[in-house]
Amino acid sequence: MSAITLNNVIKRYGAVQVVHGVDLDIEQGEFVVLLGPSGCGKTTTLRMVAGLEDVSGGELSIGGRVVNDVAPKDRGVAMVFQNYALYPHMTVRQNMEFALRPMKLPKAEVDRRIGDTAEILGLSELLARRPAQLSGGQRQRVAMGRAMVRTPDVFLFDEPLSNLDAKLRTQVRWEIGKLHQRLGTTVLYVTHDQVEAMTLADKIVIMRDGHVEQVGTPEEVYGNPRTTFVATFIGSPSMNMIEARVDSGRLVAAGLSAAIPARFADKVSEGQAVTLGIRPVELKIASGDEPGAMQAQVEVTEYLGNEALLDLRVGSHELVAEVPADQRADPGDMIHIRLNEAAIHLFDTASGQSLAH
Amino acid sequence: MAYIRKRNRRIFLIFLLPAMLVLFLTTIYPMIYAGYLSFRSYDLAKLFVPRVFVGWSNYAEVIGSSEFIHSLITTFKLMAMTLSVQLVLGVGIALIVTQKLPGMPLARTLLMIPMMISPVIVGLVWLFLYFPELGYLNYFLSFLGIESIPWITSTNWALWAIAIADIWQWTPFVMMGTAAALQSLSPEPYEAAMIDGNSRWDVFTRVTLPQLKPVLVSLMFLRAIDAFKIYDIIFVLTKGGPGDSTEVLSMFIYRQSFTFWRMGVGAAASFVSLVIIVVLITLFFKSLQREQHA
Ligand SMILES: Nc1ncnc2c1ncn2[C@@H]1O[C@H](COP(=O)(O)OP(=O)(O)OP(=O)(O)O)[C@@H](O)[C@H]1O
Ligand SMILES: [Mg+2]
Repeated sequence: MSAITLNNVIKRYGAVQVVHGVDLDIEQGEFVVLLGPSGCGKTTTLRMVAGLEDVSGGELSIGGRVVNDVAPKDRGVAMVFQNYALYPHMTVRQNMEFALRPMKLPKAEVDRRIGDTAEILGLSELLARRPAQLSGGQRQRVAMGRAMVRTPDVFLFDEPLSNLDAKLRTQVRWEIGKLHQRLGTTVLYVTHDQVEAMTLADKIVIMRDGHVEQVGTPEEVYGNPRTTFVATFIGSPSMNMIEARVDSGRLVAAGLSAAIPARFADKVSEGQAVTLGIRPVELKIASGDEPGAMQAQVEVTEYLGNEALLDLRVGSHELVAEVPADQRADPGDMIHIRLNEAAIHLFDTASGQSLAH
Repeated sequence: MAYIRKRNRRIFLIFLLPAMLVLFLTTIYPMIYAGYLSFRSYDLAKLFVPRVFVGWSNYAEVIGSSEFIHSLITTFKLMAMTLSVQLVLGVGIALIVTQKLPGMPLARTLLMIPMMISPVIVGLVWLFLYFPELGYLNYFLSFLGIESIPWITSTNWALWAIAIADIWQWTPFVMMGTAAALQSLSPEPYEAAMIDGNSRWDVFTRVTLPQLKPVLVSLMFLRAIDAFKIYDIIFVLTKGGPGDSTEVLSMFIYRQSFTFWRMGVGAAASFVSLVIIVVLITLFFKSLQREQHA
């Protein structure tokens, strides 16, 4: 049975529709990440699941029960907010106690849960402190602890790491992942950070302008992007996109041309406008006499340690290549590159849809 | 001000002078003069009799006088009546007008009108309402089957009559301060409580009230100082009567000074009440500081 199901869920604020019919199935115990640029409706979708926003249309079920009109407290969810939403005048212990209060548990059970949770999260020493006396990372853990003590069926996270510095973010990210493995609770997690999504998710839901663009495992959305939006959104540096045309069995763009990979042969028609996508790592340095080698001028070189990023000009196109650092060239050099044909993505330019499906 | 050169400093002082002069004439001089009077025997009826130095005897008379003690008790009684009701009503109304409902911003503005009216006018308005036989209030109460209440003519009711007028005027003040504090509370903890399923009562008593406490303490403190000085409304409504049932400190001072023409005693009483206010303020800030360090 699915833990959470969204069936054509719509959100309207007055006359403005901001979430346009989202379909989503979340399995029991799955870690699902809602990923997308700012303003695409991630928070709104999460808040509808939490019950903090009404659902304007469609059907939302949690644990097999339609909850469109069920109060937040009766949905079996716990939420961790972006700015932690701790009670500022209460100690860490009191914050957790207050979350447990509606459950009317015996005192011993309350103490046991708070003790266990504090232990897991490394908060045992901090139970008597107020939020103002904690660091950002500690507050963030208290917010998680307050959600955990209730042992909910579903955890909802809204950008829980965005207020932390880069180093702490990596650490807390790792802790969240470990926690999920340990508790096995269903998680719905909102972020606009693709690294968080790729590292934590069992399933990524990529949203754009209130629509779901693609749902898939991290490998699927990276290796098999359905649309040009997903292709450029996932992966860093972004996938190179080249506007091309199918011309007598070849992909032709200003200043360059490539053979159509066999797997796309029957998917394209003569004269079709297509977008060729190639990840920077799939642009290989070649010798001039290799078949398919193209001349490229190096404009900028960024040395990253193991790799280097080369900003290249190929014909009239600006491309980025990620090459082993020892193969890097200097700005101004003329080099040859070739596309790894097996890694070429093709999209219909008009619709932005992948031609691989 | 080290950067102001000498010449400029003189100009600086000249510009300040008018304001300083007004401050001196209206506040500092009367205070010094009252201090001077409080040690003199000064009968307004005998203008040309020298004002003899009498030492602390005016003070002794004030502190030893049962009328003064009575007026002090009446002041605190009135303070307790008005502050408690203003606190409960003010917070209650603030909770309502800060809801996201249509018309609430307008309601908030309209509710502030009473505190913008001069207390004398408030007194007059309530005089019309309270008027024995002809007052509107008893007229309306008669529809509810309530018998005519001798609002300002009975020693049992007069203090309440004054308290009600004061509550009407100053509850908006508490409401406004509380509403501002409520709106500055961050909404997320409330959403967290909503998801966790905390009852409204728990949320109010354990999340809202503790966060409002510093503001409520300050509001009550300001109201307490005002209640200590309450004068206009009482002067218009009861002049301290009937009997001495509404004779608060300020009325006692007024009566001593301008009814009995004993300016020295009146001045001494003013200083005694000033001391009481200063002690109250000091205690208040001490307790606030303790709280902040806790
Ligand atoms: N209360 C509201 N009234 C009207 N429009 C709103 C309201 N809340 C959100 N929106 C709009 O809905 C859209 C989606 O907002 P949402 O907060 O879900 O975005 P998001 O994906 O969480 O973005 P971010 O990454 O910046 O947090 C935005 O265009 C926003 O302007
Ligand atoms: Mg958001």
